[in-house]
Amino acid sequence: MISFGNGNLRVPKLSRPVYMVAAGLTDFRKFYPEKQSTELCLESLKMAVEDGLGISPRDFKKMVNFCVYSQFADHFGDQLLAAAKIHDYLGFDPLGNIEVKTGGATGGSSVLAGVMAIASGYASLVPVIGWERMDEVNTRQGNAYIASAACKDFESELGWLYATYYALMMRRYIHEYNPNRETLTKIAQKNHHYARFSPYSQLPGDYTVDEILKSAVVSDPLTFPECCAMSVGAASIVLADEETAFRLTDHPVSVVGTGSGSHTLRTADRRNMPVLLLPNERPQLYQDRKNEWPGFTSFLAARFAAYLAYNMADITDPVKELDVLETHDAFTVSDIQTYEDIGLRPYGEGADFIESGDAFIGGRLPTNLSGGLLGSMHSVGATGIFQLSEIFWQIRGEWNKFHADDKYWGRFGKTKPNNFENLQVSNARRGMAISHAGTGSHVTAIILERGWSSE
Amino acid sequence: MLQLLSWKGGGVVSKQRQQVTISADSKTKLADVLFRQNIPQGIILRENPRNITHFHSYGGISKFFDGLAAGTLWGTVCGSCGNAGIWLPPRVHCPDCWQEMSWVKIDTSQATVYTHSTTNYPGAGFKATVPCPLISVEIPGICTKLMSYLSEFGDGEPYIGMPIRPVFSQNPTYTILDLSWVSRD
Repeated sequence: MISFGNGNLRVPKLSRPVYMVAAGLTDFRKFYPEKQSTELCLESLKMAVEDGLGISPRDFKKMVNFCVYSQFADHFGDQLLAAAKIHDYLGFDPLGNIEVKTGGATGGSSVLAGVMAIASGYASLVPVIGWERMDEVNTRQGNAYIASAACKDFESELGWLYATYYALMMRRYIHEYNPNRETLTKIAQKNHHYARFSPYSQLPGDYTVDEILKSAVVSDPLTFPECCAMSVGAASIVLADEETAFRLTDHPVSVVGTGSGSHTLRTADRRNMPVLLLPNERPQLYQDRKNEWPGFTSFLAARFAAYLAYNMADITDPVKELDVLETHDAFTVSDIQTYEDIGLRPYGEGADFIESGDAFIGGRLPTNLSGGLLGSMHSVGATGIFQLSEIFWQIRGEWNKFHADDKYWGRFGKTKPNNFENLQVSNARRGMAISHAGTGSHVTAIILERGWSSE
Repeated sequence: MLQLLSWKGGGVVSKQRQQVTISADSKTKLADVLFRQNIPQGIILRENPRNITHFHSYGGISKFFDGLAAGTLWGTVCGSCGNAGIWLPPRVHCPDCWQEMSWVKIDTSQATVYTHSTTNYPGAGFKATVPCPLISVEIPGICTKLMSYLSEFGDGEPYIGMPIRPVFSQNPTYTILDLSWVSRD
């Protein structure tokens, strides 16, 4: 739809408070023949329960009443109802469970489903478990499977490659707004760099802008280091109602904002419409705008999700009121587009979020300190859950506990780098994760906030 | 040679037993390298090949793919939503009012390149040669921007705003690849 009725813009409201109480990850690899998806899922949840909650799996399981599973593509794992197998493997039968699928945003949507289960009163303790098995086929076939989530009648055949669909947007973005080409590469540089300080990351590395620009071009103008990883791995979080949350931890993190949006699966079908304004934007901001909206340069779904989440969390100035952010940086260009869609900068000025230093550690809104999809992982079903795990640890002041401890580096057969940087954002109280699918077919925005009062 | 059992179970059992065998066409192959990495010791990685045919219907938009074969570009337009524009890709139903739309021939005389990207590393199953310049097409009066490709290009092409005209495949595949574009100059 290109015009809204009152019902369409209703701000979500939870019927009772929902908290996040634990998170766990495996490491992420291109290729993980040592472990099946069942094993990876168990290990991520085990970490959340044992290292996070500090209780035994047996005691944890006595409290669980519903589970949500998050996997993008049955094609990849080649097992329909893999969730049932994982649910059984974790020993949760006969508890009810659902598996959620919304493309790249599957992780965010799964957490949203878990939040709904708690908020409605249906459940009081819900693990949300995500994974993707992307190593059963070679990279070209993997790209074709991912492009099966484009329109097979009109778009998949034209490349069988999401990098191309984003490169079409990138070319148009450069045409309309003329950003400095180097600024885009700095997003890749930043996230590959931050990935160096994560024991979970798949593609850590320090690159110069020149190295990124001169890397092989996947689909022009996107080069390889500007495109996300294809990963195997798992991520789990645990959601709870208030009573259960405070029984499990003195420091639960509250879910204060949730939003979910969508837009045409085919990029082609995005009709021109008026800009949907966020709480921090005045109508005058775009009155002289000549470019189409959302066109090929903006994601209506991201803006819609942010609109709902900001209004729900009473956020009127996201750069000021959020302390840490995880975006779905599948490609450098999509990250710049997202900065604008979620109101960090006006349309056309997203590059300034990077150039100003805001997006870096020490800046006003450090973004993708996890290493993001470019540097750390994109094991699709796990991705949105991975992002929220990192936000959760930041808000609890536990970034070091889960990144700097040699225990985790050793667990994955890695050695912590010597010039290790501490990426804990000091006094982080509130953070957001953006989970994103297709060329913006589904987007969720989830805002977490410190759920305990500081004495 | 079926075993004869009474419906209560038990009963007369023939001494001759049937064999169950695995069909010989499922050749077993174990991989020792994937993504240029060796498979770790003790891990079994079995190759599961497949070759499957799906029978995919174009349903109510079959006319569009039939049109490509006949050298005509068809779109749809909603009679009850006024000047909402022509849909290309076409849809049977209008997404605004859910009424069935009407078919209309697309005037491509003013078509231009809206955006483009030349792909070098397409996914498996891509049928065109590389490099392949993929484009989105802008046509006045059309509310969408069809994705397609240039089947002929020179230095500096494609570029945004490039005037183009459609070319229809002489050997239709009944896929969107039957339509491509070339320079109008």
